[in-house]
Amino acid sequence: MLRIAIIGCGKIADSHAAQIGRIKGCQIVGVCDREPLMAEQLAKRFPVEQAFSNVGELLDVAKPDVVHVTTPPQTHFDLAKTCLDRNCHVYVEKPFTVWAAEARKLIDIAKEKELKLTVGHDDQFSHVARRLRSMVREGFLGGAPVHMESHYCYEIGDTGYAGALLGDKRHWVRRLPGKLLQNIISHGVARIAEFVSGDSPDVMAYGYTSPALQVLGETEIIDELRVFIHDANRTTAYFTFSSQMRPGLHEFRLYGPKNGLLLSQDQETLIKLRGARYKSYAEKFVPPIVVAGQYIHNVATNVRTFLRNDFHMKSGMKFLMESFYRSITEGTSEAIPYREILLTARIMEEIFCQLEKQRAGATDEFGLAAGIESRK
Amino acid sequence: MDYAHAESTQSLASSDGDYIVGKGEPVLVTGAGGFIGFRVVERLLELGFQRVRCFVRSSRGRSRLEELARTCGNDSRIQIVTGNLLSPQDCMDATRDIKILFHLAAGRGEKSFPDAFLNSVVATRNVLEAAATIKCLKRFINVSSFTVYSNARKGRGRLLDESCPIEQFPALRGEAYCFAKAEQEQMVMEYGRRHGIPFTIVRPGQVYGPGNEGITGRVGIGTFGIFLHLGGSNTLPLTYVDNCADAIILIGLKQGTDGHIFNVVDDNLPTSRAFLRLYKRNVGKFPSIYIPHWASYALCYAWEKYSECSQEQLPSAFNRRRWNSYWKRMNFSNKKLKQYVGWTPRVRTEEGLRRFFESCRARRGSA
Repeated sequence: MLRIAIIGCGKIADSHAAQIGRIKGCQIVGVCDREPLMAEQLAKRFPVEQAFSNVGELLDVAKPDVVHVTTPPQTHFDLAKTCLDRNCHVYVEKPFTVWAAEARKLIDIAKEKELKLTVGHDDQFSHVARRLRSMVREGFLGGAPVHMESHYCYEIGDTGYAGALLGDKRHWVRRLPGKLLQNIISHGVARIAEFVSGDSPDVMAYGYTSPALQVLGETEIIDELRVFIHDANRTTAYFTFSSQMRPGLHEFRLYGPKNGLLLSQDQETLIKLRGARYKSYAEKFVPPIVVAGQYIHNVATNVRTFLRNDFHMKSGMKFLMESFYRSITEGTSEAIPYREILLTARIMEEIFCQLEKQRAGATDEFGLAAGIESRK
Repeated sequence: MDYAHAESTQSLASSDGDYIVGKGEPVLVTGAGGFIGFRVVERLLELGFQRVRCFVRSSRGRSRLEELARTCGNDSRIQIVTGNLLSPQDCMDATRDIKILFHLAAGRGEKSFPDAFLNSVVATRNVLEAAATIKCLKRFINVSSFTVYSNARKGRGRLLDESCPIEQFPALRGEAYCFAKAEQEQMVMEYGRRHGIPFTIVRPGQVYGPGNEGITGRVGIGTFGIFLHLGGSNTLPLTYVDNCADAIILIGLKQGTDGHIFNVVDDNLPTSRAFLRLYKRNVGKFPSIYIPHWASYALCYAWEKYSECSQEQLPSAFNRRRWNSYWKRMNFSNKKLKQYVGWTPRVRTEEGLRRFFESCRARRGSA
């Protein structure tokens, strides 16, 4: 029986506790939050026997094998390092760390101590994302990816998380180098990182505060981002984050030399984009019918999965957790390759550095950017 | 139901002889920029209170109050404090020298249990911690909600009053707000016992009025693309926002309310069916289907069981606890409120509904 602990009892911890509860062979032995009431409320609802407000005490008393870190990103590095130092395997919620150097350090510690580490990029393990991965492995693209487009949108309303963030100038998200973007874009960037070769692709980022937010007096939060990425093999990618475009997509397009794939996370559909063209007018009539058939097939697949009771909103998280736990108990490979975790961290850091430089450029050509460079 | 434009001229100021504080003493309103909190501030100013400290979290709440201060022509009576109740220091600063504390800040609209809990319970604990250090505090008024009641063991059509039991396992309702409010009440009572903080709990029914334009879930839900009318002939426990604010103020100011719980509902309450008919007539038509009570109960039961056996593939948003709380036919009483503090609804239900529908129409027009 794997003994699991959760550090950080906010919103995402609920999802972790619920999915852990669905996995056989593991048990939550303790939850911890520096606010004791938050730890108690999670323990009360799931239920968990022990609630702590001190990490050391959690590790000493509950003696977990695995720790899930679900705190704000600023604390990820220190907490994950503490847990690794105490010989626990660690699942860190996204974003993995604030800086890429911290990500590198955690991975080095895990390797040295032969412990397992993963990050909560659970969207990559939804049913539809797994189907996409499987088709790529089977060679559907006809070679290495040529181009990718990843859309990851976020609708900013006036309630809940966004409302709290916009209304509170001291909100912890504002203290992140990449602010709102840093807390959200990991899923969309990680999709690209999975198919980019090499360790240091070129990144060009452009971001701004949308007029909708400017009207509310917001000047700090960048909620519109466009990124161009290309690697040494000339595989290219566009990444789009938007709070304003509608529909607010969570979509990934992957094009190879022969065919392409279109994944919609919102609808859990995967569409095969045929590379070859039909002749003459057939191109106008046949492909829409074929695509319509594919959508019907996707609906049937989703209904079957639902009827099997395996279509939970966080089914990707469960799959990722199971893979992670298997890598611990059976010694299988990492649930998410460390290269991908690092690459995602590097791309994100580069994006935020460039945005900071753009912002600084308006008033102080290098001052602020130099500040962010020195903190890395 | 026809509209009558007669508004009661009853004034809170006419009955201030037995207030526990003078009008020159400082009072604090948390959530002062909110739907009810703002009206509480307005009424306190109308009553002549000279030192109304308003705690707000967002700049939007602040600008609303600043506008109010300008229109009052006397900025010095309102002190606006922007902060976060999750910060103990902000709570300490806000509560300094306070005689009466109207605690209205809450995590309304939160669907996530931790967020609702954080913004209601943890925030309240911080306010209570700060309140415990003020030796001059005369009353802590905790504004809760009808949502905490469990009607599971009451027969249909029975009276729901302050003596009714509250939800024993609020987390199982599948409603973050209920969980947070029930836990918040427990917290207030515990601090009352442990630190001797004089407290009163106010449980408003469904507060309506301009600024809160939605149709209450007690009437029905539009989740599935068409409006399902679930309330039927049930009486709606409505209270117009101004009436609710009056009740909160009177409960806070009058002698003899310490340790008590008060429900707040207006007189002449409409049924769910009458409300929906008036809404369609005055705001706009939309299709709705009436689901009889036996059918809505069966649906809630089936949903609950499916949620359990599918390991919450569908979250337990509909269940028997929720049905009992929202859609079981009950009668409501404001007898205790009238007896203890002499409250009467200033705005009659007909007039309240007229203003509400007018606001809904305006909102719909601007959308």
